[in-house]
Amino acid sequence: MADTTKVPEVREITRIERIGAHSHIRGLGLDDALEARQVSQGMVGQCKARRAVGLILEMIKDGKIAGRALLLAGRPGTGKTAIAMGLAQALGQDTPFTAMTGSEIFSLDMCKTEALCQAFRKSIGVRIKEETEIIEGEVVEIQIDRPATGTGQKVGKLTLKTTEMETIYDLGTKMIESLTKEKVQAGDIITIDKATGKISKLGRSFTRARDYDAMGAQTKFVQCPEGELQKRKEVVHTVTLHEIDVINSRTQGFLALFSGDTGEIKSEVREQINAKVAEWREEGKAEIVPGVLFVDEVHMLDIECFSYLNRALESDMAPVLIMATNRGITRIRGTNYQSPHGMPIDLLDRLIIVHTQPYDEKETKQILRIRCEEEDVEICDDALTVLTRIGMETSLRYAIQLITTANLVSRKRKATEVNMDDIKRVYSLFLDESRSSQFLKEYQEEFMFNEMASNDNDSVEPANENDNMETV
Amino acid sequence: MPIDDTYLTMEKNMSEVLRHLVEVEEAADDILTDKMQLVNLDRKKNKNREAIRSLKTVPSTSTSTKEQKAWVCFGNMFLKIPLTKAKQVLEEDQEQLDREIDSLRANLKAKVNRLNELEGKEELKGFSLAALDRNEMAAMKQGRPGSS
Repeated sequence: MADTTKVPEVREITRIERIGAHSHIRGLGLDDALEARQVSQGMVGQCKARRAVGLILEMIKDGKIAGRALLLAGRPGTGKTAIAMGLAQALGQDTPFTAMTGSEIFSLDMCKTEALCQAFRKSIGVRIKEETEIIEGEVVEIQIDRPATGTGQKVGKLTLKTTEMETIYDLGTKMIESLTKEKVQAGDIITIDKATGKISKLGRSFTRARDYDAMGAQTKFVQCPEGELQKRKEVVHTVTLHEIDVINSRTQGFLALFSGDTGEIKSEVREQINAKVAEWREEGKAEIVPGVLFVDEVHMLDIECFSYLNRALESDMAPVLIMATNRGITRIRGTNYQSPHGMPIDLLDRLIIVHTQPYDEKETKQILRIRCEEEDVEICDDALTVLTRIGMETSLRYAIQLITTANLVSRKRKATEVNMDDIKRVYSLFLDESRSSQFLKEYQEEFMFNEMASNDNDSVEPANENDNMETV
Repeated sequence: MPIDDTYLTMEKNMSEVLRHLVEVEEAADDILTDKMQLVNLDRKKNKNREAIRSLKTVPSTSTSTKEQKAWVCFGNMFLKIPLTKAKQVLEEDQEQLDREIDSLRANLKAKVNRLNELEGKEELKGFSLAALDRNEMAAMKQGRPGSS
């Protein structure tokens, strides 16, 4: 019975990927009561923010907070992206999750709002069900009677069986043709789609495995089907609205989905699709799965995008929007106005804002340990303590960079473990950001095009102002 | 008495667990019975279909089809009844079977859902959706590789 044996698809292929900055994150690390565990699933500390996002997660799972927005605000390196990644992992495969960076929308060959719109629609899933009636069984015998004259009606009989039953079907000319076309013979497992009459071969029965010695490598052996011959198969697909858009925009076709070169999609197409999906929803044929759109570095968006977001969030098929920013009070891009997080006040008003706090020493140590494990680096306790100090004094990211480099140094001297000297060595080899700027300040004169000393009013320029914010 | 107390709560927990297990087993058993029933009905349906088929292809003899009679086996009894009558009976039977299969299948879903719930599994996604019809599905699949 297709209804009951349907189990969630298990992905057998492990993803091969490089070790990224957030590859150690496997979820939000919450317990059943949604309290954040201090260290779990690759997440460390940041308990308040994680708990807050955990609540959002539950609401997303229940489909309750479509069309809301969340802002993760915090200093650089406090785990904003990590939390978003954790959320994506915790949502699982079935909920659409789109991650993009604010600056991405400026570099595409389409207008900014179109890019945003596509990102929005990529984050909304539509769940639909396909139902087919099939006859599935092992071919016991095929009998085809050909008229002696060579022309005229062919008739035949097809005997099919499952483990439970066996039956004979009378065949018409058309079925005989498609059987011969598929080269069906006794011992094959076939399915016949009742609605279309399409025959497909699933493979050969195991019991016939020893019929021939020489067999093509592509011969697949399958078990004789169980249960009834006439089955009903139900397949649930989850597609995103964007996919439906692309399939239906006549100029592109499905291939555009792979090449990514979708161009702009006409708003009429979108409206028609919205209408159709709404109709299906009324008829109980489709479910909307509001997904999550994550926009990193959201301060890079300009005022046009913000006003578009304002509007888009009000649509009844909006996903959950999660944004992250590391800016304080700064200029809104595209205007001369200052605003908290570089976002207009009216948009901020719609958001739930979650702050991430800087990590303390213990947490930093824990994160570094997790990173060491993730990168397969053995490190001794002293070295880890030193690394933690470096992490506290400079930045966590810098300390994480040192792990790999220190590992290489230790391997050069054929050691299995990173010790203090390795850390010291890489610390002297690679400058962190503050030491580097210190160096620049000291030796400014010797660099080319130095203008810092000559005109001091340079620092008022907006570009510089933004850069300063980053390091606050 | 603390010892007695823990013993009592343990006892209570045990019976609770047992009750739950019984419930799960019952639900699962119910599903299995239904599935078995479905298989039996389908077997019957196929046999009926074969019978109807062979009645249709009975070589027409000199006597007109109205008077023609056929041997039919109902249960354990062989009967000789008019051809048209036999066909009619079989076709009615077939319709009845179809209805039964449909209702069994419909109920089976609710039962599977309940079992999942009892076992604490997540509800299957999109289980309660109505299926798209063929044209709509074709529209969704157009141009996709592997659909042809």
